[in-house]
Amino acid sequence: MNEPLTVDLLVVGAGPAGLFATFCAGFRGLSVAVMDALPELGGQVGAMYPEKAILDIAGMPAVTGRDLVEGLTGQAMTARPHLLLGHTAQTLAYEDGTPVVTSDQGQTVRAAAVLVTGGIGAFTPRPLPGCTGYEGRGLSYFVTDLDDLTDRDVLVVGGGDSAFDWALAAVGRARSVTLAHRRDTFRAHRATVDKVLASEAQVCTRTQVAALHCGPDGRIESADLKGQDGIRRIKAQRVVAALGFTASLGPLESWGMNLDGRHIAVDSHMATSLPRVFAAGDITAYPGKVRLIAVGFGEAATAVNNAATVLDPASDLFPGHSTERHVSTTREGDS
Amino acid sequence: MTHVITDACVDEKDASCMEECPVDCIYEGGSRMYIHPGECIDCGLCAEVCPNGAAVALRLLDPAAAAVHGPANDAFFTRVLPGRQAPLGSPGGASRLGPLDVDPS
Ligand SMILES: Cc1cc2nc3c(=O)[nH]c(=O)nc-3n(C[C@H](O)[C@H](O)[C@H](O)COP(=O)(O)OP(=O)(O)OC[C@H]3O[C@@H](n4cnc5c(N)ncnc54)[C@H](O)[C@@H]3O)c2cc1C
Ligand code: SF4
Ligand code: SF4
Repeated sequence: MNEPLTVDLLVVGAGPAGLFATFCAGFRGLSVAVMDALPELGGQVGAMYPEKAILDIAGMPAVTGRDLVEGLTGQAMTARPHLLLGHTAQTLAYEDGTPVVTSDQGQTVRAAAVLVTGGIGAFTPRPLPGCTGYEGRGLSYFVTDLDDLTDRDVLVVGGGDSAFDWALAAVGRARSVTLAHRRDTFRAHRATVDKVLASEAQVCTRTQVAALHCGPDGRIESADLKGQDGIRRIKAQRVVAALGFTASLGPLESWGMNLDGRHIAVDSHMATSLPRVFAAGDITAYPGKVRLIAVGFGEAATAVNNAATVLDPASDLFPGHSTERHVSTTREGDS
Repeated sequence: MTHVITDACVDEKDASCMEECPVDCIYEGGSRMYIHPGECIDCGLCAEVCPNGAAVALRLLDPAAAAVHGPANDAFFTRVLPGRQAPLGSPGGASRLGPLDVDPS
């Protein structure tokens, strides 16, 4: 699916700012593509604190990270975006003045404007120490298809929300479930930890993966777990490493935008120093900047509406009030 | 803004914090860790895992403690470390720099 894509707006980063920007673009009738390095939507909120209660979203006295992402996703989908998940935006070039962004997977997107909502940078899962090279042979950092765990011996590594969520999802589906964690305390939500502890899953604390072993077909068939009383081998055809993420601005640094440390300098239109490239959310910098989700929402609306006037100078900066319109999940012309 | 590491870390260095930090901004010195004040995003994960209460949010310390621990943490980056010509500044990642065997004097 490496056919070049042409859209009005390319949103780079599917955190809260990017998801809300996607909705804003759809509201104005722009065609939009959303790219994120992660295979799932939600940025920092989804990847780092899905179970925490957020208290400072306007109009929502308390919302968990997971519920916020779900709401933002539903709203963003009204724009019918092209989703490019698992794609890191790598290079930016201009063809006849139009930005062309290419991802690390070789996907090219020709966009009349680009909105960078890259937060603290592209997320990459932390590798399982000493076990690189097993990806695609049974080792993964995400579970994108739960059916893939059915009737397997599943080893989950980590002590955070993702590790416990996946262990819980595997119980009842997998042949066996083992969760290994380096420490004896867990960062995950208490209720999920209790559910896993009460299930048939084996939870091994102060335990690390010492080695993975493959069968004749080159796929993982067992793992050596190193605990306090030595090393033991368990059967495992699926290993899910949920050890958190690291973020880095990486390729965005080479685009040539004016930067301010690890942030992109913007003006009051949320325009960067490059033509047709805007930014919003945690990644922006200007005097007085406050890095909160609420601020990112405002910046997203400002960026998209200003981008729209660049795409069509005859159009109004103000998008109109949403109360004047019914935003349905299908756009005109769709059957 | 930002978290700092206090001298409660001295000679502990179990490095749980470094494993959690999403932006790789916890640097290893000779006797303890230091958090880069410009690179830290204040997510609090290091404080959650530190077994010694050494990683703390600067804004949660009382002013007197903050006045001690803030500068002591930041000195690793702002002062010229023994054996170096210039301050570290912003190395842009602890794994890029690797552990150092010195502390600010
Ligand atoms: C533990 C914790 C608690 C928090 N609590 C709160 C709170 O209570 N209230 C609050 O307002 N804020 C809170 N925050 C901060 C809040 O999460 C951020 O302000 C918010 O997520 C920023 O949103 P964003 O959309 O700008 O970027 P992010 O959420 O960081 O999303 C950016 C996305 O862009 C992607 N990306 C970056 N570069 C590229 C690239 N080159 N190619 C493809 N994809 C790329 C990344 O993979 C990421 O998914 C908290 C943060 C943490 C870590
Ligand atoms: S976890 Fe705490 S004690 Fe251990 S190295 Fe980090 S700051 Fe120091
Ligand atoms: S608060 Fe977060 S970003 Fe800052 S040092 Fe701790 S783990 Fe790293």
